[in-house]
Amino acid sequence: MDLVLRTAFVFFLILIVTRAVGRRELSSMEPFDVILLVVIGDMVQQGVTQSDYSLTGTTTVIATLAVLTVATGYLSFRVGRLRPLLEGEPIVLIANGEIRREALRRQRITIDELGAEARQSQIGSLRDVRFAVLETGGQISFVTD
Amino acid sequence: MTELFRDLAEGDPPRALNRGLWARRAAMTVLAVVVVVALLDVLGQRASRSSAAGPAAALSLRAPKVVRGGLLFESRVEITARRAIDHPRLVLADGWVEGMQVNSVSPDAEGTTSRGGDVVLSFPALRAGERRTIRMQFQVDPTNVGHRSYDLELDDAETALARIDRTLTILP
Repeated sequence: MDLVLRTAFVFFLILIVTRAVGRRELSSMEPFDVILLVVIGDMVQQGVTQSDYSLTGTTTVIATLAVLTVATGYLSFRVGRLRPLLEGEPIVLIANGEIRREALRRQRITIDELGAEARQSQIGSLRDVRFAVLETGGQISFVTD
Repeated sequence: MTELFRDLAEGDPPRALNRGLWARRAAMTVLAVVVVVALLDVLGQRASRSSAAGPAAALSLRAPKVVRGGLLFESRVEITARRAIDHPRLVLADGWVEGMQVNSVSPDAEGTTSRGGDVVLSFPALRAGERRTIRMQFQVDPTNVGHRSYDLELDDAETALARIDRTLTILP
């Protein structure tokens, strides 16, 4: 039982952390972020399985994570009010060609970063962008004129 | 370019939408059952108590009946003497130590011997009415899998006073 409870605790802890850290940081992995991810993974493993070296323990943890993932996905699908909490909401960064600087500031995105994202979408100038939306996965979608 | 989409749209429904869906649901059901079984402590390691009593002493053992490889666990033995016991000895079946790391026995036994494969721990004499608690800390070797005899006997020298028959299941 303790294994399931520890896994559930860590699952929701990671859910809260990822929602709190922000989607941009998680979608663009710098080398530092990759190393931090590995360190966090190691710490999580120690906290969840502790000294357990068994296949039974591994199966229990994976099963718990799978059930929790499907359960939160189902809840997000069925209960609209939970969706912003579990997955976040798309955030408009450019609307009708006008850059929303407050939205950029809150998401810690600079104009230069927005420009870089636009270049990766084969857009030559932000003036050509009609809408830019920060999606829940951390990617930025662009709609041009 | 549109033929890449048209072929998909006009073709047979992908198996992911029918058989694949039911296969996923079946797999998730199996995983959910694993979680429920684990929540019910079937996969270890909730401790349970077993007791035995005789005219001379009462013996109780609190230890898990199911453990997993690598786990640390405690077995707690309580002896209550109903009359003076001059040479109290705990006789542990071989499953207590086979494939186990014995981290500590507290209080330490005065002596340790072997009797037909069992381990015999000797302790100081007990007065009538005296109670003694012995805590033993173990860790399961990951390669130690199966059912082990976890019997426990309290002797006064060579005379059996109380006996608990138990089995320890070690999951892979």
